[in-house]
Amino acid sequence: MRQYFEKMTEFGHPLKEGQIKRTEENVKQIKEEETKLAQEIERIKNVGLPEEKINARGQMTVWQRLEYLVDPGTWCPLHTIYNPQNNEEGTTNVIDGLGKISGKWAVIIGFDNKLYAGAWVPGQAENVLRATDLAKRLNIPLVWLVNCSGVKLPEQEKFYGDRRGSGTTFFRHAELEQMGIPVLAGIYGTNPAGGGYQGISPTVLFAHKDCNIAVGGGGILSGMSPKGFFDLDGAEQLIDAAKKYKVTPPGSAKIHFDETGFFRYVFEEEKGVLDGLKDYMKEMPAYNPKFFRVAEPKAPKFPAEDLYRLIPYNQKQVYNFDEVLSRLVDGSEHMEFRPEYGPEVYTGLCKVDGFLVGVIGNRQGYLGKGYPEYADYPGIGGKLYRQGLIKLNEFVTLCGRDRVPIIWFQDTSGIDVGDIAEKAELLGLGQGLIYSIQQTDVPMMLVVLRKGTAAAHYIMGGPTANRHNAFTLGVPTTEIYVMHGETAAVASYSRRLVKEKDAGRPLDPVIEAMNKLAQEYHDNSRPIYCAQHGLVDEMVQMDSIRNYLVAFAGAANQNPKSICPQHQMLLPRTIKG
Amino acid sequence: MKHEILAPLAGKIMQLNIETGGKVEEDEEAIIIEAMKMETPIYSPCNGTVKEIKVKEGDTVEEDDVLAIVEE
Repeated sequence: MRQYFEKMTEFGHPLKEGQIKRTEENVKQIKEEETKLAQEIERIKNVGLPEEKINARGQMTVWQRLEYLVDPGTWCPLHTIYNPQNNEEGTTNVIDGLGKISGKWAVIIGFDNKLYAGAWVPGQAENVLRATDLAKRLNIPLVWLVNCSGVKLPEQEKFYGDRRGSGTTFFRHAELEQMGIPVLAGIYGTNPAGGGYQGISPTVLFAHKDCNIAVGGGGILSGMSPKGFFDLDGAEQLIDAAKKYKVTPPGSAKIHFDETGFFRYVFEEEKGVLDGLKDYMKEMPAYNPKFFRVAEPKAPKFPAEDLYRLIPYNQKQVYNFDEVLSRLVDGSEHMEFRPEYGPEVYTGLCKVDGFLVGVIGNRQGYLGKGYPEYADYPGIGGKLYRQGLIKLNEFVTLCGRDRVPIIWFQDTSGIDVGDIAEKAELLGLGQGLIYSIQQTDVPMMLVVLRKGTAAAHYIMGGPTANRHNAFTLGVPTTEIYVMHGETAAVASYSRRLVKEKDAGRPLDPVIEAMNKLAQEYHDNSRPIYCAQHGLVDEMVQMDSIRNYLVAFAGAANQNPKSICPQHQMLLPRTIKG
Repeated sequence: MKHEILAPLAGKIMQLNIETGGKVEEDEEAIIIEAMKMETPIYSPCNGTVKEIKVKEGDTVEEDDVLAIVEE
């Protein structure tokens, strides 16, 4: 099939001088958002004890462990500023992402031992479940850096129980193991109770000599107060018990290596644990990339910096999606699927790091005379119409048939509305796309380039496609909301305006409420808000998008559960005709 | 040779990036129309000189209205 894939059709154009001149302000606006993001990331890195203090104890921080463990240049962090329950610490206290270890992709997650010695905190369980979901979707190992002091006790009611509480992680580990997905754990520090299960639930345990894992920690071994309350006598007894277990916490490396054998390996040095994980990762199930590559990897023909000029910060400005895509895919080459049909969406085959991917994206701007064909009004890109929805259904289905992972790019204001659109069956075609996605069972990722709006955000491979969407990225121009704030204000208050007007009352209070609502929509759809609340899995810089595409394509092709031989693929033949 | 810049859709002229007698390049963003809540740029069809501008900012235009004339 090299005739199809080695050299596809080139697309995209270099920027023109005038375009460079008129987009200076755009670059500035995007960079300002990126500066805000960088400040947030820096804040997360510095939460808790300073690095020097941890190092003075002879320990590495989770960041230092990750840096040592992950192959240089491959780390793609996820959920860095995720904090869905607005913890006062500003973090879920785990750091996770996609990265290569010894040349193989893994989902890597570690407790931040700088804060409460890596305790469970509100929102962390959801973060961890996102990581286990990712390993499951991509069928790649999950690697833990366990260093977990257990529950942050004063806030236990927020995360201990519930269907998706902190203990759910242990069931997810068992589920991954049942599916044949290895969970490796490097274990450091004191890990009692929940921390003990964090340590014991993975598949193979690599322990540092000073670590321990236990059903319960020294702090609770003296049990409840037998009197039902605390007094001076009871306090003295607690002091004695605490001193004893401070010296020998339960579940030491000696117990779990020499006695139980739970620890497969024990290492003298912190780095030894990481070296052990690196060695083991070499043996993890993975195809050689050449098995699935359709061509040699190539950089895009145009620089990623162009993205700062091609994607307008002003949400009302239109742009050329194809030019954006040409900055992201190998050699700026593609095979477009049905270019003459459904002009509001791009669908096509591209290569990322030599792997074949299906790409879908909203095109912007006026769609030309006579489109949509069922209506007497003009079509504008960002919206979805009948042809576009049919094309998306077809393309997704063929990607599923050919086992091609899909990368979605959203900038959508929704599906066409009104009785004319209803007659054109758009509701059924939208849900049909959800059905089409569901039956593909191929990994997908999403980049919300600008708007993720209305049901279109769901049906275009959004994070609500839990079983398929591996992760979703935001960028400095991302906005996610059910509808634009001004539209929401009109929907909420237009009848009220009529009532007030008819009653002869002043309109100012209603107008004020409308402006307030529109402002709230604006504030709660900003990129950093989206990342903090999990509407995206990470907000990334424009020039980092391709790193994530490479990680996704590589991870999705590392150990897929089903294969379509390249010479039996239908989609490239359908495109060629 | 003269080329007309036409309105691709009905809307309001939001911004004129050209002036009569000025030079324009092919594909340069000459005029921006606001329609359906979006700003649609209209590009110069060729390198040349702007001979005439038939609209001003704020004007409402219909599809296929001539907005400007560029001489190559």
